[in-house]
Amino acid sequence: MKNSGKACLLTGASHGLGLALAQELVARGYHVLGTGRRPLHELPTDYPDCAYLQVDLTQADAAARIAEWTAQEVPGPLPLAILNAGAGRYRPLSEETAAEMAEVLQINFDANLHLTHMLHPKLQGGTLGLIGSVAHRGAAGMPVYAASKGALDGFGRALAEEWRGTVRVRVLHPGPVATGMSERAGRPRDMMDSLFLSPRAVAMTLLDRLNTARGADRQVVSFAQVARHMLWRKLAGGRA
Amino acid sequence: MNILLTGAASGLGAALLHDCIARGDSITVIDVGECPPDMPETVTWLRHDLSAIDPVLWDEISTAFARHGPFDLAVLSAGISATGPFEAISPQAHRQVSRVNLHAPMRLSLELQQRNALAAGGRLVFVASLSCFTGYPGAASYAASKDGLAAFARSLRKPMRRAGVAVQLLCPGPMDTPHATRYAPKGARADRRIAPEKVAQMVLDAPRARFVLLPGAGAKLAAMLGRLAPELMTRIMGRVLFAKLKDQTML
Repeated sequence: MKNSGKACLLTGASHGLGLALAQELVARGYHVLGTGRRPLHELPTDYPDCAYLQVDLTQADAAARIAEWTAQEVPGPLPLAILNAGAGRYRPLSEETAAEMAEVLQINFDANLHLTHMLHPKLQGGTLGLIGSVAHRGAAGMPVYAASKGALDGFGRALAEEWRGTVRVRVLHPGPVATGMSERAGRPRDMMDSLFLSPRAVAMTLLDRLNTARGADRQVVSFAQVARHMLWRKLAGGRA
Repeated sequence: MNILLTGAASGLGAALLHDCIARGDSITVIDVGECPPDMPETVTWLRHDLSAIDPVLWDEISTAFARHGPFDLAVLSAGISATGPFEAISPQAHRQVSRVNLHAPMRLSLELQQRNALAAGGRLVFVASLSCFTGYPGAASYAASKDGLAAFARSLRKPMRRAGVAVQLLCPGPMDTPHATRYAPKGARADRRIAPEKVAQMVLDAPRARFVLLPGAGAKLAAMLGRLAPELMTRIMGRVLFAKLKDQTML
């Protein structure tokens, strides 16, 4: 597909839902700027043909590096930024460590806040998508992850109102996606895993929610929403 | 009773400290400020900046929990804010809000649990905000920190109940405290804010079974409206509050 000229900054692009988002964005003709923790040579073979910056969001200069790189790659305004990078561990508080707790809060919340701050001038007239989780309301098995996503939700809620009319802010909360994150986070595999959402279907739904002017500032994108969306696409003659 | 209080130098924390002293409780305080003069012997005052990440400081706190615990009641009320347009406040100031309001109470909870410093039958109270129900445009990092804390408290509720500890989430509206006065829009009326003494009494008297504590009829009404129409409530907050805060930045 021909490049539409629309640029999109996407964090956490090297794996899981971020990779599916990168693939879908490129398929839709976006000029994608992907970032991730993995080195370039360790990117998956199905990483799409788009720019990539290796950056570790736990580092203090991460937000500045991403903002600087974006300014170099995209001379004008940035129409879309999707802050998707995330980390989490499936374990109770009693098994947490202070360092790992701080790391999850840094990646899922503090880094996003800092990056949003730095992108503000460039995002004028554009859209900021913050990728949360249905766990943002609390999850007994992963309290630290839930807290970080709860914070992101509250941040997006306030910011959507502050920036209304200048930057569209959306906080989207996907349900469980079959990306392997749950397993990497320490959650034992069970029959529920087979029911997890397809990354591609979730990515398509998220992008359509970000590109639609109507709709709430904060939206859950879980089983019912993804199924409805995919059915609608099929009926409308779009690829599903 | 054996009590742990953070942020007891002023506002709600000071009101709680006053009541607990009057009841004859044994109290451990963690606060960034100096211990006020004439503090009774029942109070152990630990002067710590909870935004710090220095491991030595946290070792001291952990050791203090082992020495002074287990606590029958822990109220984590230390908090700061930063008001004004999000982009007009420095990233460092936002980060400080996140550290004091979110990182610190989570870390304190971790230390309390790992040191077995919460007594069976006790309570752990997180001080969030009414903004958890209404949103808070004009204080984006503050609202975020309190929503994060609310999600954390909800997550701990069941696991801690198994250990006999009741987790509670206090969501007060604006209080008549130096903190609220500092961050309120210019000209806001202090007499409409709830007295911290009333909120303190509510915390001390709260039944263990109640998770969300909403002091005052105004807060209960705002929370109900926020539950029924969250987006509308945030729009109203934008019109009423952010319209005034956007021309004043306060750290």
